[in-house]
Amino acid sequence: MIKVTNLSHYYNKDLALKDINLEIKKGEFVSIIGESGSGKSTLLSVLSTLLKPSSGEIVYEDTNYKNIKNIDNFRRENIGFIFQFHYLINYLSVKENINLANKKASKQEILELLKSLGIENLIDKYPNEISGGQRQRVAIARAMINNPKVIFADEPTGNLDSKNSLNVFELFSTLAKKGTTIIVATHDKNLALKTNITYEVKDGKLI
Amino acid sequence: MIPFALKALFANKLKTILIYLSLIFSIISIFLISSISNGIISMYSSMLKSDGDIIITQSNISDTFFSNVNINLIQKINKIPDVIESSALIVGASPVEKLPIVAIYGATQNRFKNYKLELGNYPEQNEVIVGKSIYEQLNNKNEIQIANKSFKISGVFKSEIGFENGGVVLPITHAAEIFNKSASMIMVNTNLNSNLENIINEIKKLDTQIDAKSTQNFVDNYNQFKIIKTSSNVISLIAFCMGLLGITSLMSITINQRKSEFGIKRALGISTAEIVYSIMIESFILGVFSFISAFIISNIVLYFIKNASSLQGYVNGEISNELAFYIFVASIFMAIIGSIIPALNASKTDPVELIQGNKI
Repeated sequence: MIKVTNLSHYYNKDLALKDINLEIKKGEFVSIIGESGSGKSTLLSVLSTLLKPSSGEIVYEDTNYKNIKNIDNFRRENIGFIFQFHYLINYLSVKENINLANKKASKQEILELLKSLGIENLIDKYPNEISGGQRQRVAIARAMINNPKVIFADEPTGNLDSKNSLNVFELFSTLAKKGTTIIVATHDKNLALKTNITYEVKDGKLI
Repeated sequence: MIPFALKALFANKLKTILIYLSLIFSIISIFLISSISNGIISMYSSMLKSDGDIIITQSNISDTFFSNVNINLIQKINKIPDVIESSALIVGASPVEKLPIVAIYGATQNRFKNYKLELGNYPEQNEVIVGKSIYEQLNNKNEIQIANKSFKISGVFKSEIGFENGGVVLPITHAAEIFNKSASMIMVNTNLNSNLENIINEIKKLDTQIDAKSTQNFVDNYNQFKIIKTSSNVISLIAFCMGLLGITSLMSITINQRKSEFGIKRALGISTAEIVYSIMIESFILGVFSFISAFIISNIVLYFIKNASSLQGYVNGEISNELAFYIFVASIFMAIIGSIIPALNASKTDPVELIQGNKI
């Protein structure tokens, strides 16, 4: 699904990632753990095409990152994002927030997706009318609406209590079983135990 | 796209209102300065156009107020083939009662018919007729003093032209004594389809000290109109730039506060062009609503200006369809150009900042 070879990244002259090699298969639930500043968020940014690597190769199925002509389209069609903060747009309803990622998604499709996440009653609500856990589920729905091949989540439980955190990881596990590759950056080693594979990043290197 | 843009505007009410007000004030300024200057030009040119096809003034004079033409030329001009009639006018100004400046027109007898009487008769010796607007402001409605000379008010006329409606008309002989000149200008009526150029050449041969032009040519090249037009354009341009800067700075503040919104859009694969376009739509909507509001407010302001007795009807703005169209285009242009830089900045929001845990 994603094959990374000799990946390095620099911010100006500061080394952030060094000689990363890894392979993630379709439907795997992967966690990347590490201390704050270890380079795990940079690795997530590079893997998710948000950041162009300084050197090395990243291949998504059969597509080399270097050969992607329209990165926006590639991202829209293949990748879903979930952030620590939900980043829902407050003036848009839940449905409209999800439509941001896919304008063509019908209300019925969105309703079915929300149903699978147990929040179908929120479709017409606004972000400030729902709880933190519900907002993160809406953010997950937004990441899923395009049926992405891979979902990247950066500290997705950072603002949630332990019960909601566990729920989110169970949801990721279910998605992975259905074939969506999930890559999560987290500092919570207990939650990382719920994933199939864990990579630890320290000083920009995989250990 | 439009419902989303409207929601974004309503979500940022305070900034939207500030941008809206900034645009409205700029557009109103452009409307008022353009319409008032057009009104002044239109009033004076209507006055001249109603008087004939050719206008004769003293040559090398920048303003008709300073022109002095020999009135006796009228007899010679009337003998030129295709000339129907000629009339003369003296244009001056004088204080009348408490009013500091009132337009005074000395006219030949054959011009009196241009002033539609509402009351009384056309003036004889030592008599004047006064415009309705000035008549209403006079304390003594029977007699007025011009340059220490008393004149009986023989009638009251009404004119759509503010300069006339707020003026006094008297026989040209009296005006000649007051302003110490023969005539400010002579207006010539000609037969329909006559060759104006030939007639103008014939008139010029009569006196080397005069300048003769077709009325249209005179209006198009009158220096005072050019000065008014240029001043109006410069002030309009300043108002436009103020609006442009206003919208750019306020939009930049708004966009800066919405950075996480644009960051998430970028992360979701929404292109930079789409983000720029969405902000342009918001600006376009603001431009349209600001224009409509400014159009309505400007008309109300112009109505009050037109009817303000203290202005004697001399300030009379008019918003033509053409002017409204140009200002509409300028308003939309201002709104869109003003939002380009903030929109480009928004489209360049780096979604990596979201993933690195900063709530940008």
